[in-house]
Amino acid sequence: MKTYITFAKYNFNNMLPTNCPSCQAQLKVKCLKCENCQTEVTGSYDLPLLALLPEIDQQFILRFVINSGSLKEMSSELKLSYPTVRNMLNDIITKIKTDEK
Amino acid sequence: MKSKEFFELIFNPFTRIAGWQAFWLGLVFLILSGVIGGFGNVIFDGVIDSHLVKEETMLQSFGYLGISMLTLVLVMWIAGLIISKGFRFIDILGTMTLSKAPFILLAIVGFFTKMPDTNEIMKNPMVILSSTSFLLMMILSVPVLVWSITLMYNALKISCGTKGSKLTTAFIIAILGSEAISKLLIYFVL
Repeated sequence: MKTYITFAKYNFNNMLPTNCPSCQAQLKVKCLKCENCQTEVTGSYDLPLLALLPEIDQQFILRFVINSGSLKEMSSELKLSYPTVRNMLNDIITKIKTDEK
Repeated sequence: MKSKEFFELIFNPFTRIAGWQAFWLGLVFLILSGVIGGFGNVIFDGVIDSHLVKEETMLQSFGYLGISMLTLVLVMWIAGLIISKGFRFIDILGTMTLSKAPFILLAIVGFFTKMPDTNEIMKNPMVILSSTSFLLMMILSVPVLVWSITLMYNALKISCGTKGSKLTTAFIIAILGSEAISKLLIYFVL
């Protein structure tokens, strides 16, 4: 059974796409632009590891850092039990380890 | 409340409540089950067992409950240690205590039920049909058992953070093992 949580404070509407909409392969960063002087840097850069995670996991990590890495504070904020929050964190750790490989 | 949330609250409240909170709440249900069962002659003589008896003292009622609860927690804790690491004992204690809460329904129904005479049942099993409350208790015991076992499964799943066949296998062995151990302990201690 899945637990549905919402993070109301952060808007992640314009998420960085990480996978190709056509073939689902992982995307690379081709171009970066300076908004100040319009300089453009072109290349082939890997996406940061955290950007590869689903939106909900990124929100979880953000809240976890803001709560000083306290699972107890996370559980009271999310109104979920301590082991549930710990399991969510363990799932994210597993995903990161898989992505690292 | 949406049906999904209601379903989760009934069968898996441990996503919201665990640890000490679950333990105190479960303990309230356990004590009430013991008291009502003591007066209603309902014994919980096993981890997933309950029977209607002719006579029962309050000491016996709590003795049966205490042994079965203790066995359940210890066996599930050992199962947790085998399949997982880095979980808290209090989560197993709390969630397992709360998993026994549905048994209060049998204690309540048993309170209003009179045990039919065993000799009469042996002579004519159809005597059971004449006691509506006894029939109700027999029928109710099935969903209560299913509910409680589902809660125990989810309690182990949430407390240890394990999934899949490893969890299912460990749970089946643990539940059957704890039932057998509790029966033996009850036989030798009480």
